[in-house]
Amino acid sequence: MSVESTAEKLLAGGRLSAEEALELYVSAPTSLLGRLADTIRARKHPTGLVTYIIDRNVNYTNVCVARCSFCAFYRPVGADDGYVLGFDELFQKIDETLAVGGVQLLLQGGHNPDLPLEWYEDLFGAVKARYPDFKLHALSPPELLHLSRLSQQPVPVVVDRLVRAGLDSVPGGGAEILVDRVRRLLHCDSKATADEWLSVMRVVHRAGLRSTATMMYGSVERLEERVEHLCRLRELQDETGGFTAFITWSYQPSNTELGGAEATGIDYLRTLALSRIVLDNFDNLQASWVTQGGKVGQLSLAFGANDMGSVMIEENVVRAAGAEYCMDEAEIVRNIEDAGFAAKRRNMVYDLLGDPLFRERAIPRRTELAIARQAGDATVPAELSRYPARSRPGKARRAVDS
Amino acid sequence: MSDDLTAVTAKIADGGALDERDWQTLTGTRDLIALGVAADDARRRRHADRVTFVQVFDVPVDTAAHAGTLPDQAGELRLTGRPVSVAAAVAAVRAVVARAGSVPVTGFALEDLQGLCGHELGRLGEVLIELREAGLALVTEAAADTLTDPEPVFEVLRTSGLTVARLTLGDAAGHAAFPLVRRVATWDGAGRVCRAFAPLRPAESSLPTTGYSDLRQVALARLLVDNIDSIQVDWSGDGHKLAQVALTFGADDVDAVPAVASDDLGWRRSPREDIRRNIVAAGFAAVRRNGCFEALDVCDRSEHA
Ligand code: SF4
Repeated sequence: MSVESTAEKLLAGGRLSAEEALELYVSAPTSLLGRLADTIRARKHPTGLVTYIIDRNVNYTNVCVARCSFCAFYRPVGADDGYVLGFDELFQKIDETLAVGGVQLLLQGGHNPDLPLEWYEDLFGAVKARYPDFKLHALSPPELLHLSRLSQQPVPVVVDRLVRAGLDSVPGGGAEILVDRVRRLLHCDSKATADEWLSVMRVVHRAGLRSTATMMYGSVERLEERVEHLCRLRELQDETGGFTAFITWSYQPSNTELGGAEATGIDYLRTLALSRIVLDNFDNLQASWVTQGGKVGQLSLAFGANDMGSVMIEENVVRAAGAEYCMDEAEIVRNIEDAGFAAKRRNMVYDLLGDPLFRERAIPRRTELAIARQAGDATVPAELSRYPARSRPGKARRAVDS
Repeated sequence: MSDDLTAVTAKIADGGALDERDWQTLTGTRDLIALGVAADDARRRRHADRVTFVQVFDVPVDTAAHAGTLPDQAGELRLTGRPVSVAAAVAAVRAVVARAGSVPVTGFALEDLQGLCGHELGRLGEVLIELREAGLALVTEAAADTLTDPEPVFEVLRTSGLTVARLTLGDAAGHAAFPLVRRVATWDGAGRVCRAFAPLRPAESSLPTTGYSDLRQVALARLLVDNIDSIQVDWSGDGHKLAQVALTFGADDVDAVPAVASDDLGWRRSPREDIRRNIVAAGFAAVRRNGCFEALDVCDRSEHA
């Protein structure tokens, strides 16, 4: 099929096969990909709104046994600069988030063998007791799988216990590329194979939770594997309808074991456009300004995105790999309006919450994102001593602390 | 693409004069991709699929006599900063030229040189000749917003035998810059003395621009300023990602690629490899040039595919 006939099929509302999508990606000029993605975006979102969420991206621990080769964030068990945030630290972060109009925490972390399922249950319960309306968008599929393995409980049971404790929705992290050849090369197949990632999401959706989906491209995958990833997400969305949004970002190579070069800005815009084209059953695509910077982040709105993602307030993972962009609410809104759209706040399920908050009340401007902990802060939260550790360094530490 | 925008871009392609309504259509359109497609067509008519880049090594003018090692990778040695006097400018040029070998030495903002000459055109002409005789290959830049009466200045440049590497918009940005782009487009003599037009404002400016406004400005520059050969973006100043995307919106030349690797690029990539990879990923052939806009080598798309 020629690029022209594929484009015609798409504009007539047809669904592209993996082969057609790959051919389009390889052969179509960037402007055509953008034009097609923008047309689909405009059909799905005809009112000219672009949304964003005020929430905080918190990483509760950087200790991780998975050791993915593309990750600059994790620290091995026993590392001096490994940390676990205490409940009080997390409450303080929630207070700061509420003060700027935030509605949820995006809570993700390393696979820490010394944090049992009960720690998560107690944390979620404590958050909900203090902040009943505040949402917990927490624990990507590999983290849920890790908790299942650690607790020797099936994933549906883990999900059920966490939902009872206060889990509201699940972030789509840890997907990277949902092809096992790639996952083996990235050393992330042991945290979750492609099938495992998808089946955890299936469990989450069946439990009545909504989730997002992601793709980290530009590491070692082939183009056809990017397309395969998108097709697998599309299949699961056909089945469950549980994904609210899709976010793609480029692999950030600095300070990682894998190294290499970051994919270019054009790669990002083409990949985003391809995602909008293939994911015909996803309503929302977010811009990844945190990896692309504000300017290319804004250009995402011409290449298929209808959402500027999160104000974030805090970010640790991408920063560890070298990207340090910051946009506060005012800056996100300026970019949305400059692109010709109306800006609206939303929650995780894309209910509109209102107009920009900084126009209703004074909110201090922010020029850099916060981090989980200041460098050198080795505080061990007091409540950790209540939970059994699994690792040898963790056990030794708990013995000293108690 | 709207019918109005289609009509205006067709008019531009045919060399027709734009009226006020055409101008409003161009600057007011929200259809960024349509504007980009029209600008890309215009740049391909002129430069086919070639994008040039230059690796620059900056030498501060006040320390030129004591400059350290000059890197092999440089295609241009650029004197930066405002010289305290004409004598200091000439001495700096001589000092760098003496060590530059075949690498062109450029330097100075035209408005700084005018300031040193008391804004007296006759004196400016003498100074330009003195700098050329000292070995200066090109004046680095001239700011369009300082050229209230450009023709006499262009005439002085022509007579001196020196050209300006790039014409910038100076401090004008966003919508304030559009009228200036339009004015530059009417300066008939500009192309004979300015090699490139750089329509984006440097990143250090206090008022941040957006991706949309930057690309709209690059596209408008390519569509309107057909009196200057190249539309230039700045690899260091405009941000790599935005600069790369701008290549698909009408830009054909990349200035200020570093001649030496900085730590944050990582040891696996040299700046030359990085810029080539980005140009090829944008769908073009990468042509390395020197500070005199002479092609040094071509890297075609297959090498980085
Ligand atoms: S990406 Fe997540 S799972 Fe992998 S090493 Fe980093 S923190 Fe651990």
